[in-house]
Amino acid sequence: MNALVEVDNLNLHFPIDDGFFKEKLTLRALTDVSFSVEEDETLAIVGESGSGKTTLGYTISGLLTPTSGRIKFGAALGGHSQKRPVQLVFQDPFSALDPRMMVGDIVAEPLRLQGVSRAERLQQADDVLEQVGLPAESARRYPHEFSGGQRQRIAIARALIAKPKLIVADEPLSALDVSIQSQILNLLNKIKRDRTISYLFISHDLGVVHHLADRVIVLYLGRIMEIASRQDLFATPSHPYTQALLESVPRIGRGRRKPGQALKGEIPTPLSPPPGCVFHTRCPRAQEVCRRQIPELLPAPGRPEQLSACHFKD
Amino acid sequence: MLRYTFFRLVQAAFVLLVMTFLLFMLIGMMPGDPVENMLEGNPALTPELARQMRELYGVGVPLPVRYWHWLTAAFQGDFGFSSLYFRPVLEILGPALLQTLKLMVATIVLSIPLSLLLGAIAALRPGGWMDTAISFFAFASISLPNFWLSLILIIVFAVQFGWLPASGTPLADNPSLGLQIYHSILPVTVLTMFFVGPLLRYVRASMIETMSSDYIRTARAKGLSETTVIVKHALRNALIPMVTVLALGFGMLFSGALVVETIFGILGMGKMIFDAIRYVDFNLALIGLLLATIVTLVSNLLADLAYAWLDPRITLK
Amino acid sequence: MSAIDTGLAGIPSAPRQTIWQLRRKRFLRNKPAVIALAILVTLTALCVLAYPYSLLMGLDPNETNLLMRFRPPTATHWLGTDSLGRDVLLRLMYGGQVSIAVGVLGTLLTALIGILIGVWAGFLGGKVDAFLMRLTDVVIALPMTPVLIVLGAVDLSKLGLSQALASSPGVVFLRIVVIIALVDWTTIARITRAATIEVRQREYVKAATVSGARHLYNVLVHVLPNITTPITVAATLSVGRIILFESTLSFLGFGIVPPTPSWGNMLTNAQELIISAPALAVYPGLLIFLTVISVNFVGDGIRIAFDPRSEK
Repeated sequence: MNALVEVDNLNLHFPIDDGFFKEKLTLRALTDVSFSVEEDETLAIVGESGSGKTTLGYTISGLLTPTSGRIKFGAALGGHSQKRPVQLVFQDPFSALDPRMMVGDIVAEPLRLQGVSRAERLQQADDVLEQVGLPAESARRYPHEFSGGQRQRIAIARALIAKPKLIVADEPLSALDVSIQSQILNLLNKIKRDRTISYLFISHDLGVVHHLADRVIVLYLGRIMEIASRQDLFATPSHPYTQALLESVPRIGRGRRKPGQALKGEIPTPLSPPPGCVFHTRCPRAQEVCRRQIPELLPAPGRPEQLSACHFKD
Repeated sequence: MLRYTFFRLVQAAFVLLVMTFLLFMLIGMMPGDPVENMLEGNPALTPELARQMRELYGVGVPLPVRYWHWLTAAFQGDFGFSSLYFRPVLEILGPALLQTLKLMVATIVLSIPLSLLLGAIAALRPGGWMDTAISFFAFASISLPNFWLSLILIIVFAVQFGWLPASGTPLADNPSLGLQIYHSILPVTVLTMFFVGPLLRYVRASMIETMSSDYIRTARAKGLSETTVIVKHALRNALIPMVTVLALGFGMLFSGALVVETIFGILGMGKMIFDAIRYVDFNLALIGLLLATIVTLVSNLLADLAYAWLDPRITLK
Repeated sequence: MSAIDTGLAGIPSAPRQTIWQLRRKRFLRNKPAVIALAILVTLTALCVLAYPYSLLMGLDPNETNLLMRFRPPTATHWLGTDSLGRDVLLRLMYGGQVSIAVGVLGTLLTALIGILIGVWAGFLGGKVDAFLMRLTDVVIALPMTPVLIVLGAVDLSKLGLSQALASSPGVVFLRIVVIIALVDWTTIARITRAATIEVRQREYVKAATVSGARHLYNVLVHVLPNITTPITVAATLSVGRIILFESTLSFLGFGIVPPTPSWGNMLTNAQELIISAPALAVYPGLLIFLTVISVNFVGDGIRIAFDPRSEK
């Protein structure tokens, strides 16, 4: 497989400028994050809120500039592409669409920014709207006339029109009704069948991830805890944090339930992450070494493709 | 808190410095020759001094240099002479500031209870006829040209009925307090009319908000009488942020005082500034405006500090 | 919605009411606002009719006639004559043109400055924002009337304008508009900034940015169209404030100068005559008051009509 995006040692730190006299604080949103997104793959990023999932998605789409590290596009694109072939789909389908614009103009906006003529781009917008299951006449209506699920289709159409190689989908289902969720999920799957496209699918819902993802990244306090294929991750999770996450979803974790595995307490503040392994404050296996030494992201025993950052991984 | 205070003080001092420059520049753009004007009022004027002044401020000296000369002199306490009154500027402005403060304090002392009372009554039944009437009064208050209200009050109470004096300054040399109050009735009425509207709108809004809050419902549920609920809980809650509104209204009140002092012939800061600009007295206008700016800056500063101190929800940055 | 909904079902037909119809309905239900609007329209119409009226009655607003001083109302002079024998009603009509024009033009300029600064501060944030907001604080802290007087006293010939040009009525008028806008932009700037910050964070702006939109595109296409509501309300309310500023300045002799009539400077004259001709002090002030309070009621009506929380 060819790597579409290579993320190398990414760090994103926000200085918190708190007036004149206070010492400067740093919010460590992402620390030492390295991975790649392959061509035509669905890579899921899971973690609790505050883990840095959305920040990672925004950084890859270029909305945020990393403090250090590199995001390299295009081994699969011939390596010369200046523009990011990335589009975003958001969680809230209500604030994702400009209420003052007609749906056709919303969907066609990426083409407008590329300088495509209005007639041409509105024609394409009609086509894409049809592909996401909306009648072409939707183009001449305003967003407030549509339901949440329909709006999410419009947002997906806008993402598709520029023919991106990667769509970063930031919890695209969690604001929708359950019945609508499966429709959007099916739509995403259908799009995947029809064209060569990768998804960076950000979610906290392991059920959805199980249904959709090829590979999964588990993020905690801005660090990668585990990267594995879907099969490996769900069958033999290596990191205690992954195990705890699976444990909290009864449907998927059944049969592996051990006492004392559920997560205790709250995720610590990224303003002062714990030393050593960032997870040690909530980890059932934490030892002295976890408080001192940051575990490296290394293959789990006997599974070279499954990487896990834990001193005592399974 | 201390750090915050210090930070705000530094900030206010910086703003004041910027204002001195802006005002110096603007005053210099009034009609007439600034140097002649600045010299005119000085009784100890010698040809030697005049020559010196022309070197410091005359034609051809660039603005920043002129400003610098003025600023260094000001820091040594030399604010110059008034060309209107032939006296040092500060000697004139001291009593004038006192006069204006008296006027403003009287207005504030009247406005606070009045706005609390009217605001509370209006908030009792939002939408009721009392509320409608009081709201109309508040709209009238912010829409009335205060110079016109002054003229009308003079026409009615001084000219037609002859009940009250049209002048805000008693003629007697050492007027008694009673006489001073007698002469202040009309000016203070105008200023209060002008000031009470914004205040009572604020009180009403914040009362309505508190009255629908949880702890008022709790207080009612405890069986407290409606009066107790309003006076002890809702009104008290509306008082805290009112400090800010009051202080922000200070600049507005000062503006109003200028107009009222001019019409009623009260020798306060406003009239001094007005006369100084009208009859082109550079030194008096400059220092008068600076004093007015200082007064508003200080009141804003006090309001911010009081607010931070009174309201524990505000965390100081 | 059923589980087999493909998204094709449930596409709405045309909505029953557009947002503007809804707002108009809400405004029309607000009786004080409607009355105030009617008063404003009538007053403006009367002022606009000044010239035809002068032709009809054969009057001149500036021609003095010392034999006709202080006349009581007659068939030709409906409100009598002033101290120089000029028709009071006609001068009120012309004065109203000036006051209303200053109010409207001043508001446009105020809104322009306020929107530019507010959007700039709100969209860019950070140091630019901090600086612009400090600047706003400073301007708010100023005692307005004294500052306006100084600005009104500035000798334009010291700024390089010829003496004749500086005292021409057009320049005097524009100068009032400009100096009032210079001190009044802060309210609109603050409101614009707050609204911009809210819109800037919406996801459609992020989507556009990912597709390559620059700041200017986002401001023009996404931000400005979405912040018109608060700006409209603030601008309406500032019309009243600006008319008050203008009349105060003109009254004090630093605004519109005679012989051009304005409601403010007609009162300057009347002030000296309150014993002999008190009526002259009544009309101009009454008209200022009526105009400003009407504008404020209309502004309040617009605010309520535009407020989504008053949806009923």
